[in-house]
Amino acid sequence: MLKMTHLQKVYRTHLIETHALRDFSIHVREGEFVAVTGPSGSGKTTFLNIAGLLEEFTGGEYQLDGVDVHGLNDDQRSRLRNEKLGFIFQGFNLIPDLNLFDNVDVPLRYRGYGAAERKKRIEDALGRVGLASRMKHYPSELSGGQQQRVAIARALAGSPRLLLADEPTGNLDSLMARGVMELLEEINRQGTTIVMVTHDPELAARAHRNVHVIDGQVTDFDSEPALRAGSRESGIGNRESVQAAPVSP
Amino acid sequence: MEIRPILSALMRSKVSMILIGLQVALTLAIVCNALFIIGQRMDRMNRPSGMNEADTFTFGSNGFGQGYDAQAVLRSDLALLRQLPGVADATNTNTTPLSQGGWNSPINLQPRQKSATANTAFYMVDSHALGAFGLRLVAGRNFKDEEVMPMDQGDRIQPSAVIVTKPLAETLFPDSDAVGKQVYLGEDSPPSTIVGVVERMQQPWIDSSTIEYSTLIPAFMPYGNYSRYLVRTEPGRRDEVMKAVEQKLAEANSGRIIGRMRSMEQTRADAYAGDRAMAIILGTVIVALLLVTALGIVGMASFWVAQRTRQIGTRRALGATKGDILRYFQTENFVITTIGLLVGGVLAYALSLWLMQAYQAPRLPWYYVPVGFACLWLLGQLAVLGPALRASRVPPAVATRSV
Repeated sequence: MLKMTHLQKVYRTHLIETHALRDFSIHVREGEFVAVTGPSGSGKTTFLNIAGLLEEFTGGEYQLDGVDVHGLNDDQRSRLRNEKLGFIFQGFNLIPDLNLFDNVDVPLRYRGYGAAERKKRIEDALGRVGLASRMKHYPSELSGGQQQRVAIARALAGSPRLLLADEPTGNLDSLMARGVMELLEEINRQGTTIVMVTHDPELAARAHRNVHVIDGQVTDFDSEPALRAGSRESGIGNRESVQAAPVSP
Repeated sequence: MEIRPILSALMRSKVSMILIGLQVALTLAIVCNALFIIGQRMDRMNRPSGMNEADTFTFGSNGFGQGYDAQAVLRSDLALLRQLPGVADATNTNTTPLSQGGWNSPINLQPRQKSATANTAFYMVDSHALGAFGLRLVAGRNFKDEEVMPMDQGDRIQPSAVIVTKPLAETLFPDSDAVGKQVYLGEDSPPSTIVGVVERMQQPWIDSSTIEYSTLIPAFMPYGNYSRYLVRTEPGRRDEVMKAVEQKLAEANSGRIIGRMRSMEQTRADAYAGDRAMAIILGTVIVALLLVTALGIVGMASFWVAQRTRQIGTRRALGATKGDILRYFQTENFVITTIGLLVGGVLAYALSLWLMQAYQAPRLPWYYVPVGFACLWLLGQLAVLGPALRASRVPPAVATRSV
């Protein structure tokens, strides 16, 4: 589903060169629930941005659902993002001036679905997160947990192949966080692949597999045996292949 | 086109929308009416006087001292003028079109007629008037030299022959040729025969409702010791001849002063100075209004782009292309502008009605408003283009940045 091999991401300014990701390799298989953990500044968000085609990488290979994303232009990346990916952001990123229906509608309009198809998908998605009765409400009228559910509905509405979650419970209290996590687990059980970036070890422990990132490299992983075996066979995310590397000035 | 969600989002931030919409509405209403008024003024200013204005100039000769024979000086001056190099023709005249001063009198078909058939301006000229003014004779003939009679102020105007303008001829004799017909220029005057018709020669007064009704009277008529002349030069030699004329006439007779030398172009500029000023002021208002409206749109759109950077990044992350973001802001502007224009259209016609009632202005032609719609739509789209392009360049990675 998601396969990065020896990926490099270097940020360059006229003064310094920062290696955000170096020799970063990971393979996420269909149906997996992978937690990407690591301290602040380790490269988690850079990984998520590249995985979500929000940023380009400077070296290595990346295949998303069998598509080599290297060399795609901006429009092609946008379309691929829209078709294959669903995003859940830490800050929910709902559009405050749109009601729940219209918020969930945003990615569907970019997909080019007709009105009837969009309506059906929006109602289904909001139904799945338990907010079907609040379609005409605005985000400000909801709790944080409910807003994140709307964001999940928005991510699910387009039937993505891969759900990318960036600290999905980071802005929620523990009760709401538990509810959102249970929802993500339920979505995963129904077949959607999930990659979740988090610094919360408790949440990470609930994923099938943990990938630990330090200084832009995969330094540790923990997974279900079958999945780990597959990963080792492909030589990706291999503990032995990794060394902590300083960020270059 | 995502008009519905854009509209519903705008309804959540009504103040900005109302302010910009109102600005667009007022701009449309004022610009349409101001443009119409400018158009009217331009039409007025561009009316042809009927004479050659590019190569003509006028001046006056004011005699002083005892024994000054104005009639004799007039004739000798004309003879001198016609011999000067660069002079195509010259005539005496009491006034010219655009001069804002002259004689106006009824012209009738019957003697002692109670209500005038028409009102006409009189031009007291000699047989060189057609050539000097550059008038186009469309029927009949020019004056004969013997028809040009000496006159003085206070003399009754009773020429044997007159030349009238075509519009006046058609008013006097709508069903037949005016040449050879008789008209009466005063209550007890003998009849005058129309011997010729010129295509056009405006009255001296630009505000006259009968501006095209003029009559040429064959007369050498100084006003006391004052005579006025009109000279047409060969093309391109007007300024040179003006200087030469002043010098030669002063040399020819030292008992008078040559003055008020003005080209007809100057006379036209002076006559329409008020109209031109009005057009310039209204034009400035239009430009200022359009500029303020455009800047308002740029400011609002720039503010919204800055305010919604994260939202734009989120849309990009959810699959919006750069083109989608560009179109979003253009559509949003289109929606706001359209609302403003709908209000502005009503305001434009209302303002026109008020101008009609208060100032007897003509009705604003219907097509001004739709043309205004198109122009302001275009202005809005151009104004929003910069901020919209900036928005389209917001990277999708903004969506994952911490606040």
